[in-house]
Amino acid sequence: MSIGILGYGVYIPQYRINKAEYVKAWGRFAAAGIEEKAVPGFDEDSVTMAVEASMNALDHAKVDASKLNAIYFASTSSPYAEKLVSSTIAMALGAPPRVSVADFTSSTMAGTSALLLSLDFVASGRGHFALIVASDCPYADPGDFLEHPLGAGAAAFVVGEGTPIATIEGSGCTTIEALGERFRKHGEKFIETLGIPAYTQAVIMNTVTSSVKALLNSTGRKPSDFNFVVLPQFDGRLPSGIARKIGFEETQFVPSMIVSQVGDAGAASPLIGLAKVLDEAKPGHKVLVTSYGAGASSDAVSINVNEEIMKRKGAVSSVKDYLADKKYIDYIYYLKIKKMI
Amino acid sequence: MAHVSIPSYWKTLPQRYCLIGMKCKNCGTINFPAREICISCKQKSEFEPKKLSGRGKIYSYTVIAAGSAPPEFSEQEKLAGSFPVAIVELEEGLRICAQITDYEEEDLKIEAEVEAVFRKIYEEDKVIRYGLKFRPVKKRKSLP
Repeated sequence: MSIGILGYGVYIPQYRINKAEYVKAWGRFAAAGIEEKAVPGFDEDSVTMAVEASMNALDHAKVDASKLNAIYFASTSSPYAEKLVSSTIAMALGAPPRVSVADFTSSTMAGTSALLLSLDFVASGRGHFALIVASDCPYADPGDFLEHPLGAGAAAFVVGEGTPIATIEGSGCTTIEALGERFRKHGEKFIETLGIPAYTQAVIMNTVTSSVKALLNSTGRKPSDFNFVVLPQFDGRLPSGIARKIGFEETQFVPSMIVSQVGDAGAASPLIGLAKVLDEAKPGHKVLVTSYGAGASSDAVSINVNEEIMKRKGAVSSVKDYLADKKYIDYIYYLKIKKMI
Repeated sequence: MAHVSIPSYWKTLPQRYCLIGMKCKNCGTINFPAREICISCKQKSEFEPKKLSGRGKIYSYTVIAAGSAPPEFSEQEKLAGSFPVAIVELEEGLRICAQITDYEEEDLKIEAEVEAVFRKIYEEDKVIRYGLKFRPVKKRKSLP
């Protein structure tokens, strides 16, 4: 028996809007490297997407919801500013009333925060099984170019005792005070930025690079040790910039890229990226996952893929399955289902 | 559908969120929603919770067209002009009424296989009412 990731699953809503629709409406699509993005249906939100991803993860892990001791929800777009939604998810999944829950909000790094804390929850002996689910569909003003890259999706991981498909080798973190990049004040619906791209870019690059260095130092690894690297995907261009700075090759980070088809799925992006590489990974592979949250902090997590993963391949719908299942909508319908007109 | 108060909605959450029916200990019939008197043996029996699979077939359906939606669904009706509601016959044999979602026109037919999915049903007094709808079976793979 050891502690690690027992299974995972994703959910990507079926609606897509493509670049051409934005170009028709605005004359340009201000989202580098994004071809199309996922859009939640009229009856979907971060909670319903979380439930679907969680069901996939529990099936994949072969863990019944009645065994869960903790459920952590991570999102920047919880439908409630105050009121738990992990409780809604717990009930929808059929988790027992004694389950411990928490909502991790207000940062795009909430997904990795929840993942790392779920490991601590199990390792400290508080419980045997934890489910973490990052589900997000960030909102910005449709008149703001910041809105263009925003997509949607969810990824869930079951962490616990058993025969893990992957184990966490170590993690690194860097936190600095940064202001004026992505933010949303209390009572506001839309994210904003002061729009200083060079500054934002520099803060992200430095923070992520520093957390990766912290991880490399503590684990004694070098960039070339990793088969797959998941870098922050707020657009399609940022990952190559970060990769160049640290010394990762395209072959390492390109397989995790989901932003070109999903858009910026906020707190869910790093974990959907992780799910995509786990879909393809073989036993013995090493994966590095990074996240970034404005304000600013970054997690870097090193993951070893185990033999057990081969037994679970194809057990539930993969990231590729969800990417292939899509229905295109036009810009007006997009505004309608996102309730922006 | 008419106005359902929060306390009434809350009391029925297990059936609304996860299709929990009540099995009559006297005759074995699953009652959904829960009742005081069993629908089959008409006895004031004891019941035990029974989770339904969520898989079934469209027994019949209708399309709620412009102007005929109950007020809590008027936003949804405005979106597309209409939306489908079906009577779904579950694997366990009982029939329930629910909306069909994520569908194409050709999916709307009697006998079409559907599965339950957790969605927002409507919002009233700023409170989101979650519950189950059904969608055509094609998405989630189930384990062998």
